[in-house]
Amino acid sequence: MTESQDPFSYPPIDPVNFDLIIVGTGLSESIIAAASSAVGKTVLHLDPNPFYGSHSASLSLHDLTSYLISPPSLPPAATFSDSDHAVIDLVRQPLCSHAEIVPCASAEETEFFRENSRKFNIDLGGPRALFSADKTINLLMKSGAAQYLEFKGIDKSFVYEASGGGLVNVPDSRAAIFKDEKLLLTEKTRLMRFFNLVKQHENISEEDMESPFVSFLEKMKLPPKIKSILLYAIAMVDYDQDNNEVCKDLLKTKDGIDRLAQYSSSVGRFPNAPGALLYPIYGEGELPQAFCRRAAVKGCIYVLRMPVTSLLMDKVTALYKGVRLASGQDLYSHQLILDPSFTIPSPLSLPPSEFPSERLQILSQRDIKGMVARGICITRSSIKADVSNCSVVYPPRSLYPEQLTSIKALQIGSNLAVCPAGTFILYFSALCNDADEGKKLLKAAMNAILTLPVSGSSESIPIAQSDSEDIKPIVLWSAFYIQNLIMSKFDFISSTSTPDGNLNYDDLLDSTEKFFGQMYPNEEFFPKATSPEDTVDEDDNGLTLES
Amino acid sequence: MATIGHNNLNAKLVLLGDMGAGKSSLVLRFVKGQFLEFQESTIGAAFFSQTLAVNDATVKFEIWDTAGQERYHSLAPMYYRGAAAAIIVYDITSSDSFTRAKKWVQELQKQGNPNMVMALAGNKADLEDKRKVTAEEARVYAEENGLFFMETSAKTAANVNDIFYEIAKRLPRAQPAQNPPGMVLVDRPAEGARAASCCS
Repeated sequence: MTESQDPFSYPPIDPVNFDLIIVGTGLSESIIAAASSAVGKTVLHLDPNPFYGSHSASLSLHDLTSYLISPPSLPPAATFSDSDHAVIDLVRQPLCSHAEIVPCASAEETEFFRENSRKFNIDLGGPRALFSADKTINLLMKSGAAQYLEFKGIDKSFVYEASGGGLVNVPDSRAAIFKDEKLLLTEKTRLMRFFNLVKQHENISEEDMESPFVSFLEKMKLPPKIKSILLYAIAMVDYDQDNNEVCKDLLKTKDGIDRLAQYSSSVGRFPNAPGALLYPIYGEGELPQAFCRRAAVKGCIYVLRMPVTSLLMDKVTALYKGVRLASGQDLYSHQLILDPSFTIPSPLSLPPSEFPSERLQILSQRDIKGMVARGICITRSSIKADVSNCSVVYPPRSLYPEQLTSIKALQIGSNLAVCPAGTFILYFSALCNDADEGKKLLKAAMNAILTLPVSGSSESIPIAQSDSEDIKPIVLWSAFYIQNLIMSKFDFISSTSTPDGNLNYDDLLDSTEKFFGQMYPNEEFFPKATSPEDTVDEDDNGLTLES
Repeated sequence: MATIGHNNLNAKLVLLGDMGAGKSSLVLRFVKGQFLEFQESTIGAAFFSQTLAVNDATVKFEIWDTAGQERYHSLAPMYYRGAAAAIIVYDITSSDSFTRAKKWVQELQKQGNPNMVMALAGNKADLEDKRKVTAEEARVYAEENGLFFMETSAKTAANVNDIFYEIAKRLPRAQPAQNPPGMVLVDRPAEGARAASCCS
């Protein structure tokens, strides 16, 4: 992205009073900016970074590396005092930790990556993709943000099976299952019965609907392979459903059926997307940009490269009044939303003696739900011949017996304009309890389909894999990091959540919509507009750019 | 990106320039034939399309206005992506706006596609008596930097259609797609959202 050197200078922000100030341009913050602007609120949207997207940005290789290795911090706050307000300085905590980057071994490749750094748009919150029929796609269309975006379908979805020879197709049509030569006829018949039952699920008893989905699948006598595909590659469950002791999130039958329905509606919803998944051209970082543009169209003011250094609080009531910018300017608003990297130091370093600081302490407490390990690999060949873009799910215990969570992976090629021609980016993620476990999970997932360089030596990459159909691609560059899952908090000063461990954004969208409802209980979340934008478009409404 | 099919060209066109130079007024004049004496800063509309017939083809412009995101230099990369043409607008009665136009050209050369057709528009040409930037100065700058130059007036409509026609003529007819086209989501409700089956 653009260098921090700013060739433009601009005047102080005008006006100085807003309904809402939002700091950070991650997807959740950007959706709130667009939703609030759409119902007529005056919104100022700031970001300390020189790029849009915060923790859901797509970055060049160079910018990604510096983001992971030296996370940005806040400049020292302007210390002049203010007679009316208590000034509370903010701190910015990196959301990524334990970052490890393994750069290219050869000088030639290093040079290639240096020259092509800007041709990479690497997702910070990957792997990410959207189901064609999910809520996020519907919101993109309803809000009008979709008109700024182009998508491509993910070609194939695989599930990893160590015994079945690696990557197995996720059957996404009835025909695909019945063509499967590994299934016995009796199993196919049971499957047929299962799908008929699920289709008219009023025939499923209330008791079954409330029971664990895994028990329901067993009751239907589905073969283990199909059961695993349904649970982990279609319903996208994270935790091992067969292990009640460690399972933090046992999926109910009714929710499982909803997820099957979403998957089924996704396949073929858009004519150019063969499978269930879509990916935005230029990367997931386009999504927050599209919502920010929607917000701007409705009057939201945008200022990048502008850190907020302090909060301005009423000296007597301790109520929030405004913020102080790094430029020294003070701005005021009724509501403030901070991205989760901003916190208040605890205990307060400089509480004015008579200042009732208890309320502020609430803000310094973070609700951390767990952590997600993320990994990125760059290769020069695909994990599957003739497939450029694909998803992979490694069900629990598919890699080793102690693997408690499923691992998600996504390979994106250069036809999505996220990397130079002839290269591929692979994203991996897994929920974990600590960094070591996260690293072990991702390393195992990478090793199963890729050839990682042997540490300490650049020469010993084994090339000879003659009898394997798909030669494991060699990893040229890789990164690994841990990101905390911090939940959103609605209070007199609110903060949004960090990107979650899911493949799509539906949970994030649910919490964002709820957040908006708490903030503006009488406003509709993206009222249906008469026209998506004041688009003057005589000949067609769809603007479908197919060629 | 200009995409071609049956002599129909789709081309994304972006507007750049200082606040108040008249970017939105130019588009409104071109698309709707309107002019508002006191046009507010761009709010409410930032995306237009207009089709032009030139000699051998029809060109459908998708015109992106800044939506005010240029005010604090916060245009998103999305804005520049795939743009086949750009109009950099300044106000002939403001030397500052001309200086800033040059900075926008630099920004475009950094962010944009190298084959982009770039036009420099000296707007508000009806305000001759308040002129601060000579046409000669702007022409020399444009020639040196590979832009074509016109003075326009959204108020009188002078040269407004002409500048868009000139861009349409200059768009490369068989431009190799720099990035493969994707699909734009079209609202077509998912069929049988509750018909639960992964195999249909």
